[in-house]
Formats: sequence, structure tokens, C-alpha cells
Amino acid sequence: MLNRISTLFADAKDLNALRIENNEMIIEIAYISSLCDESKVSDFILVPFQKEQQPFDLILERNPQFQLVHDPAMWTHIILRGFVLLSVKGKIYSLDTARIIRNETPLTQVETAILGPQLALSEDLVDSINIIRSRYPSPDLGIEEKTVGSMSQTRLMMLYDNRHVDPNVLSEARLKLQSIRIDFLNATGQLERKLNGKRSLLPTMMITERPDRIVNCLQRGKVILLMQGSMFAIVLPATFYEFMHAVDDDYDSFWMTRMLILLRYIAVILTITMPALYIAVVSYNPELFRVQLAFSIAGSRSAVPYPSFVEVFIMLFMIESLIEASLRLPKYIGSTATTVGGLILGQAAQQAGLVSSIMIIVTSVVAISNFVVPVNNMSIAIRFVKYPLIIPAIFFGITGVTVGIFALVCYMTHLRSFGKPYIRIFGPIKAHAGDIGQVREE
Amino acid sequence: MKHKPSIVALILALLAAALSGCGFKDIDKRFFVVAIGIDRPADNPKNYLVTLKLAVPSPKIEPGAAKAQIESVEAPTIAEAVRLIKSYVDKELDFGHCKIYMLGDSLAQQGYTDAINWVSRRRDIQNVAYLAIGKPDARTIIQSNPPAERYPGNTLFLQFGKDGTESSYIISTYIFDFVRRVGEHGLDPVLPIMRKEKEEYIITRVALLDKEKAVAALTPSETEIFNQISHHMTKSTVTANVNGEIMVLSVNKITSRYKIVKEADGSHMLRMTIKISGIFEEAPMGVYSADWAKLEAAFNKQYEFEANSLLKKIQQAGVDPLGFGLRYRATHKGSEQTWKRWQTIYPQLKFDVTAKITIEGTGISD
Repeated sequence: MLNRISTLFADAKDLNALRIENNEMIIEIAYISSLCDESKVSDFILVPFQKEQQPFDLILERNPQFQLVHDPAMWTHIILRGFVLLSVKGKIYSLDTARIIRNETPLTQVETAILGPQLALSEDLVDSINIIRSRYPSPDLGIEEKTVGSMSQTRLMMLYDNRHVDPNVLSEARLKLQSIRIDFLNATGQLERKLNGKRSLLPTMMITERPDRIVNCLQRGKVILLMQGSMFAIVLPATFYEFMHAVDDDYDSFWMTRMLILLRYIAVILTITMPALYIAVVSYNPELFRVQLAFSIAGSRSAVPYPSFVEVFIMLFMIESLIEASLRLPKYIGSTATTVGGLILGQAAQQAGLVSSIMIIVTSVVAISNFVVPVNNMSIAIRFVKYPLIIPAIFFGITGVTVGIFALVCYMTHLRSFGKPYIRIFGPIKAHAGDIGQVREE
Repeated sequence: MKHKPSIVALILALLAAALSGCGFKDIDKRFFVVAIGIDRPADNPKNYLVTLKLAVPSPKIEPGAAKAQIESVEAPTIAEAVRLIKSYVDKELDFGHCKIYMLGDSLAQQGYTDAINWVSRRRDIQNVAYLAIGKPDARTIIQSNPPAERYPGNTLFLQFGKDGTESSYIISTYIFDFVRRVGEHGLDPVLPIMRKEKEEYIITRVALLDKEKAVAALTPSETEIFNQISHHMTKSTVTANVNGEIMVLSVNKITSRYKIVKEADGSHMLRMTIKISGIFEEAPMGVYSADWAKLEAAFNKQYEFEANSLLKKIQQAGVDPLGFGLRYRATHKGSEQTWKRWQTIYPQLKFDVTAKITIEGTGISD
């Protein structure tokens, strides 16, 4: 066995291939020391083998942790996942001794809630499932394991509640996972993009780190995808409304949370339409303003040399670079840079007559209301949606914006998330079009 | 064809570029017209004298900071005059915020048809703009600059609109309503008359118009009663002289209803009931313990008399701004004959006004 393994692997210092013997027999073991917990190797193999209290082959047969490996083609795969391979009397066994470096009891950082649980998922599958299972003590919880990525061999876990899950969703999810072709899978977002289709404008799956959200979704019959090495889970299928829903909405005061939900929808509409509407109203239909506002905009714009859309592009470029910069900069300078940059740039741009004072307000409304969306992957998708709307606004004014919004609504209603309509308030269920009704709400 | 969808998209985009409507013009490249005056010049009554008040926007909005540019041009038609003014100014004229269309007094007397034709045909003229008559002519009114104005035209907007002052002497008329009244059998238009005193505007009277020109003007007190009957204007007063003491009632609620009935002798009678309730605003001390029923009777009598004479004055002018004819047409079998019959009935119509004034209180004192 050892000869074969040494031919399978490149010359690696951490590959331990040993032959050891006691009075009774000779065994061969092979493992990668950096992937394994060496104390486990010693406790389970080396010590019992040397003590000889029991015949070692008997231990192997009786302890279920040692598993018989029939297929030599699996050897590299097994060793690379942190298992020890043993060869005893011509039989090959494997033992899980993997040691995985991960973040210990991580706290929620992306999707925070004030009164909700503060614990986030772990980067290790087993820990994540531990967190979920302890919150979802149900015998109906089904867990399937998949592997995706021809090189990375990333392990995925598919969790669902066996009683509530829609079998069509489940089989579609299985099919889609099988059809993924990718070399390396590093992050949940990558997987989401693969499942969603490359050019999708809006996400049809939620990415979350919150165990409480996951448990809620499980209970409502959704499928959860966990990935080894990522503390985020994918929830599918998802509707547009769920992206607007923060977990806090279930924990805080009823009336305030209803108002916050309303506020989020208004914010999303504003962040999408404000730049386009600014161009349309300022350059085509100024009669839409109240007369006071029209005069003050006209007054503040009179120093601006460029047409309104150039002004909008200047400001949007500025705000997007600020957001991007604050993301890329190291944490400690990040906030300072954006505050200073935002304040000084905005003030100076207006005083220099590059943009009007109303445009500064428009820009900040667009930027702030964008971050009101509770689910991060939706927030980023929405950040882009305003740009396609600007183009019809430049050429056709308010009519263009209306048509653009209409097209966006058409696109959203056309979207399906694993057979479920993405945005539907009412309307018939059409089975022939792959629409199988909303996931049960219970 | 592999690129079929992209070619289709490209063609659509090119076609769409040909569709662009009113051109791309930034707000600072537009001149907002805030008021238009249309006159017949005295020396050349065939022509129109069009006066535009153009707002000069400033980023600061302060009392007295309003700056406006006035342009006047004389031309055979209004459209020509406006076209001519375009070559006087540096920016594109925009009528989107023009809320006041003022007809000169002489124009209204001679016939307003052409002016209304122009106003109602242009698509960039807002239908919710106000129409008014300027006295002695529209130009004088448009030219005046109220000293405390925050931005150009604000005083005009506030006087006509319900945002600012709500006076029982101001009856504001929207263009859409005016055009409707011009076209409707049995309902005639009215327009407020605006005068200028120093640099202020005063609106206290209303002009009665037939389908072509102005025919009469009401006095301020008649205007108030007209406003009470037609618009149920509650921010108004009712005055009565009881035993030499003048008493004023501030109105809380007005309802008015009328019926056109045929008398036994074949003549027609309009029975109108006006119910008004209010609180004393001016009364002698001790009115609380006075007999209110007697006071109410005195109020009723005087109000009935005033309303009756107002209705008669309107009838004698040969116009029908309260829409009695429309009511008659609506409640009688519809044909051309109905309208013709009403035209014979109206000049002989008798009025019977019953006022029911209720005194609700004596105010805070007493």
C-alpha cells in the first residue's frame, strides 16, 4: 500500500507513510500530518497497537470508527480529507482524525440583530449543523451530503425538514447541484451564482449567517445549503418579500416593525428610482415639483456647467467609490476615510459648482436607503438596478422611467426561484409552467 | 442567426431614439413663466398685448428676494406674441409652473374666446392654473412686485390657492372649470377681478361672464354671499343690523339647496333654503341673555333680502353661474326642447329664498 501511496502523492513532507510492527503483526499507516490530529492517531492506532491488550485486527473489526475501504481509487481522496489509511493483513481501513481550523463560536457580523441570537454559523460544517440541530430538535431534519468542485471537492450539506419540504424543490435543488461545473468553490456567493444563472439581476436565493433565520426557513419547508469553509448558508427557494424581512421584525414591537418593513420598501423604491427621477424631472418635466422646489433647484443648478445626467454620474461615481473604498480599506482607517471623503467631497463639489445641492441630497438618499435592505446579497444586487433606469431617463424623461420601472416589475414577476414565483401578491398557480405554489407558511 | 436578439435590441433602441418627446432641457436652461397677462391694447384693439412674468431663480429664498423679469409683446395673435417673446429671452420658456392667466378687463368685455382657445389648446399649460380678470388691465397687475414676496409669483399663487389666505371674497377659477362652464348649457363662468393698489393685489369682486364676454361684476358683499351659496365658503361672515346695532356672525357651517318648481299659474319658482350656523364675532354686550330666536329672525330676514337681490341681479345680467339651467336640464326629460324651454323660463323665474340662520354661541366673552 505504501508504495502505491508514495506514487500517488507528490513529494510532500507532511505525508506520513509508516510501517510499524509489534509482536503479532505488521501494519502500514498513511496520513497527512498537517490535516490530522496527531493525538487521535496515537490514541486510536499507535497506543493500542503497541500495548497489545487485544489483537489489533479485532479492534479494527469491532470499532465502527474504522471503516473498510474497498476501492483503491478513493485512497487519495480519503487521505486528503484528513483520514488515516491503515493496511492490516491485506485489508484497508480508514479512520477520521481530521483537524479543521475554524473560527470559534463566531458572532453575527453581516446580518446583525439587536434582540436576536448573536451566534452565527460556523465555518465548519459539523459545528454549523450542531448550531442548527440544537435549535431545531426535530427528527424530521434531513441532511444530505454532496461534493461540488472538481478540484476543491467542497463538501456541501443540504438540510431540510422532511415533513414540510416541497419534494419538487428538493429534487430541483439536487439536480442543479449535480449540474454545477466548477473547479474551485470558495464561497457561498459563488455557489449561489452558479445555481442562479450567471447574468441574473436579482438573487433568487438568500444568503444568511443567522441560525434563527435558517431555523425559521426550515420550519417553513425551505432547503438550506451549508458549505464547508463558509459561515454563510443558502436558503432556497426565496421570494422578494423575504429579502426585505429582517429577523428583528419578529422580535421587536409589532407596530414599529410593520413601519420598518414599509420603510424598507420605500427605501428600495427610492434607491432604485431617485437618480433616474432626478434626471427626468430636472431635464424634462420640472412642472412635477412644487414651484418653490423648482425655483430653488433651478437656482442651485445655475452654476452647474454640465447636463443633469453628467452631474448624476459624477455623484454616483463618487459615492460608489466611497462605498467600495470603505470596504477595501483596513478596518481601522475605513470609517475615517469615508466620513472625511464623503463630507469634504460633497461639500466641495457643491461649492465648486460641479453639482447642485439637491443632487447631494439625492446621492445620500440613494446610498443610505440602499443599506436598509437586510439581506446583503439583495442589497448589492439592488445597488446596480438604478443604473439601467438612468438610460431611459436620459432619453425619454419621466415616460422612460415609467417604462423602465414597468420592465423591472415584469422581469421580477418573470423570475422563478426553484419553481416558485419570485414576486407574487395574488395570481393563479400554473403547474404547467413549473409553478408549484408558494412554500407553505405555518 | 446567432446574434438575432442583439440585432433586434439594437433596432429597437435606434427606433426608440426617434421617439423622444419634448427635448432634453435642464431646469436651469428654462425660464419659468409664473403669470401671463393678455390684454387688448387701447390704441390698437385688434392686437393682443401679452405680458409674461418670468421667474429669475435664486438659490436663496428670502422675503423680498423674488426677482422677476417682465416681457411684453404686441402681436395679432397670442401664439405669435409668445413666439416673439422667445426671441427676447435667453432661455426656453416653460409654462409648467404658470398658475395665473390674467385677462385684461377690456379683453374680457370685448370677448375672451380667442384667449381661452389658446389657453385650453396648449398642452404645456396646466389645467389647474387659475384664470382671473385684471383691472384696469392685466399688464399693470403682472408688472407689480409685492415687496415681501419670497419667490416670484408666490403672492399670486397664495392668493388664489387654498394654501395661503382663504378669503370669502376670493373665488378662484381653474382653467378646466372655466372651459367646462364655457361649453356647458345652463352653467356660466365667473372670474375673480384683481386690482392693484400700491404694490399689492386686491381681489374682492367677481365678474359674471356669459359664453363670450364679461357682462356684470358683483360688489364685495354680493361676492361673499355668492361664495356662500355656491361654494359653501365657511370662512365668511353674516351681518345684520338689529335695532341699530350691527351684529356679525362668523360662519361655521353652510348648506344650501334649491328646487325649481312649477307654480299653479304655470310660472316657475326657485325655492332656495340656506342653512347657516355660526358664532357671534361682533355683538353688543349682553347678547347672551337676549332672545336668540328674535335675533335669528332678524338675521334671516336681512339675509333673505340680500340673497334675493343677488339672484335677481344675476338673472338680470342674463347669466347663470350657479347652474340653475343645468339642474333644470338634469331633472327634466332631455332634449333640445328642454334647453329652449329653460331659456324662456329663466328670465321670468321667481326666487324665494329661505334662510335658516342658527346662532350657536356668543364667542368666548359674554
